[in-house]
Amino acid sequence: MQENVVLQVNNLKKYFPVESGFLKRQVGEVRAVDDVSFAIAQGETVSLVGESGCGKTTTSRCVIRAIQPTGGEILYRTEAGKVVDLAKLSMNEIRPLRRGFQMVFQDPFSSLNPRMTIFDIVSEPLRVNNIGSRAEREDRVAELLKLVGLRGEYMQRFPHAFSGGQRQRIGIARALAASPRLIVADEPVSALDVSVQAQVLNLMMDLQDELGLTYLFVSHDLSVVNQISNRVIVMYVGRVAEIGPPQALFKDPKHPYTAALITSLPKPDPFNRSDRQIPEGEVANPANPPSGCYFHPRCPFAIDRCRQETPALEEIAPGRAVSCHRARELQLFEQVEG
Amino acid sequence: MTETRLRDAMPTAIGTPPDAVAPILQVQNLHTHFFTGEGIVHAVDGASFAVHPGKTLGIVGESGCGKSVAAKSILQIVDKPGRIVDGEILYTYTDKSGRYRHENILSLPSDSRQMKSIRGGEISMIFQEPMSSFSPIHSVGNQLTETIRLHTDMDQRTAREAAIEWLSRVGIPNPARRVEEYPYQMSGGQCQRAMIAMALSTNPRILIADEPTTALDVTTQAQILNLLQRLQAEQGMAMIFITHDLGVIAEVADEVAVMYLGRVVERAPVQEIFRNPQHPYTRALLTSIPSIEAQPRQRLPTISGSIPHPQNRPPGCPFHPRCPEYMAGTCEQKEPQLASVGTNHEVSCFLYPGC
Ligand SMILES: Nc1ncnc2c1ncn2[C@@H]1O[C@H](COP(=O)(O)OP(=O)(O)OP(=O)(O)O)[C@@H](O)[C@H]1O
Ligand SMILES: Nc1ncnc2c1ncn2[C@@H]1O[C@H](COP(=O)(O)OP(=O)(O)O)[C@@H](O)[C@H]1O
Ligand code: SF4
Ligand SMILES: [Mg+2]
Ligand SMILES: [Mg+2]
Repeated sequence: MQENVVLQVNNLKKYFPVESGFLKRQVGEVRAVDDVSFAIAQGETVSLVGESGCGKTTTSRCVIRAIQPTGGEILYRTEAGKVVDLAKLSMNEIRPLRRGFQMVFQDPFSSLNPRMTIFDIVSEPLRVNNIGSRAEREDRVAELLKLVGLRGEYMQRFPHAFSGGQRQRIGIARALAASPRLIVADEPVSALDVSVQAQVLNLMMDLQDELGLTYLFVSHDLSVVNQISNRVIVMYVGRVAEIGPPQALFKDPKHPYTAALITSLPKPDPFNRSDRQIPEGEVANPANPPSGCYFHPRCPFAIDRCRQETPALEEIAPGRAVSCHRARELQLFEQVEG
Repeated sequence: MTETRLRDAMPTAIGTPPDAVAPILQVQNLHTHFFTGEGIVHAVDGASFAVHPGKTLGIVGESGCGKSVAAKSILQIVDKPGRIVDGEILYTYTDKSGRYRHENILSLPSDSRQMKSIRGGEISMIFQEPMSSFSPIHSVGNQLTETIRLHTDMDQRTAREAAIEWLSRVGIPNPARRVEEYPYQMSGGQCQRAMIAMALSTNPRILIADEPTTALDVTTQAQILNLLQRLQAEQGMAMIFITHDLGVIAEVADEVAVMYLGRVVERAPVQEIFRNPQHPYTRALLTSIPSIEAQPRQRLPTISGSIPHPQNRPPGCPFHPRCPEYMAGTCEQKEPQLASVGTNHEVSCFLYPGC
């Protein structure tokens, strides 16, 4: 694993059993994550983007080991510089590492316990890890609240007294309490209003610069992902369709699914209402995926090979990888010179 | 079919005929409040907007600004403990005897025959969560057939055929078989298609669509938006399209009403809203949306603070605590009114004379 890499995921798989009937006999499996690989360097933001059910949440929950993956490696560099495979460790072995990677959740309303004060919520990771005395924790919480743009006096209040954006700031403060290196944020701005979304995105970028944080950022929103990411991973039915830097990916997509996502996006420009070519059909069912390339039933470029053979994720240019049989020959979007 | 619908919208008998651009629905100074144990929530507090025949009015605003409550007020289906306390909703239509009418439908009792025929007949509504708009214990086909029978004089068999025809029009594959399915057997996108079929099966003159694509994925959203636009052109109906997404507004709306804390703060044709926004809130909203074309890793301009709860509505202009143009001594003292700032362009802000 390269020196500057904090997290490297290799061939991650998570299959959920599909059970049926009174005896809960297993009748199949949902391939929620099916052979996903990527790496994140120190200080970088890598995003997972795709439509609902494509496996973004499952991938991120495997990474923080909230669930046990079915297969693959999750290589994590600890603060001491040691590389461990989180996929192989037991819960007891993971516990002391936990303060290094923390999660921020989507729903700022249900992710905070309504009966705990803001102090109790934000200081929880400190208490769990036995860090500091009560007085030291209070200082730390005051400092954290200030860091995320809230007043220290709010410490004794309960979550109901805060707006969605403020609650998300509290969730971020909690994630930062034990000074983690890696933050996994699952749709952290999806439940927020646009005017508040921008505030939280700015805050996350500022904190990253200030504290040298590394982000795995999950979102279904391409525009949000474009705003915050260094690199973007487009997922479709549990697999990686394409990886690349945001602008390269969005201006010159190489996978027909990435192109389909971009053309489907409503454009805030009433002067250019597009006669757009939007994909037909619906996202494939991960419990019963199609043969070959999972996108082939909806793909306007599918050939026989696509129905038979699963395309591998291949590097087509430095920093860009695509899993499509026709990636090298197709020019999906017109390119403007210069 | 288009032609008859368009002709229906015109007066056929007595009354003053409206000119071609007269609105078919005009909401004026609507106030809908919730009388809760903790106090009065001013969910809609003086909202005014108009809908023109065959056109789409987009209502845009952030969560809690009163979009859904305003829409439900039109049909008099506001949830308890809410009540419409003031305002007028003028509806222009032709009655069964071909008589042209221009009426304040807020004065009709909610359970009157006339209001019942307007609700779900002439004006129908689709919601964000299609699944919860269907009854879980009846098949989609039965619910569709029932709706058609309620608003037409078709017999059971003809209505069922019409139901299948509608499922096919909204793009549900194998409609003759799918008509037997229950809502839970359909995907979110297909359920929304079925909901649209149900809402349009009575040939409404106005369709109110309340965030119909918010719960859907982008590719499904694009399909549903195309479907709605195609059906609107075929039926010649007017649409009120509610969303918090300015991108969706840019794709579907002819005219836009921007709401903030229960009021319309700006209204204008869609191109005008994007090219020449006048209200500080509209301007701020437009610059704070992330874009797929922006330079990554750049800070976005933001609106400071957050939306106050409508129970703690700030005095004066409701936007003043967050407004970059705030003028002390004026903005928190008086309530600005909508006033014209250009052709078909109205704003409610003290930066402009007449407000
Ligand atoms: N049944 C109710 N009882 C009390 N308050 C209510 C009720 N329904 C709505 N409200 C309040 O009225 C205000 C307007 O709500 P409304 O549902 O119209 O917002 P909206 O603009 O549709 O928001 P969203 O974008 O979240 O759908 C909100 O403050 C809401 O909390
Ligand atoms: N605990 C679970 N049991 C069974 N299936 C699951 C479970 N969690 C997720 N899935 C399935 O795995 C797939 C991926 O889900 P998820 O990771 O939540 O997607 P996303 O976050 O991209 O929307 C979906 O088909 C989902 O229904
Ligand atoms: S592999 Fe074939 S079906 Fe899949 S995206 Fe590429 S061209 Fe389309
Ligand atoms: Mg998810
Ligand atoms: Mg609503």
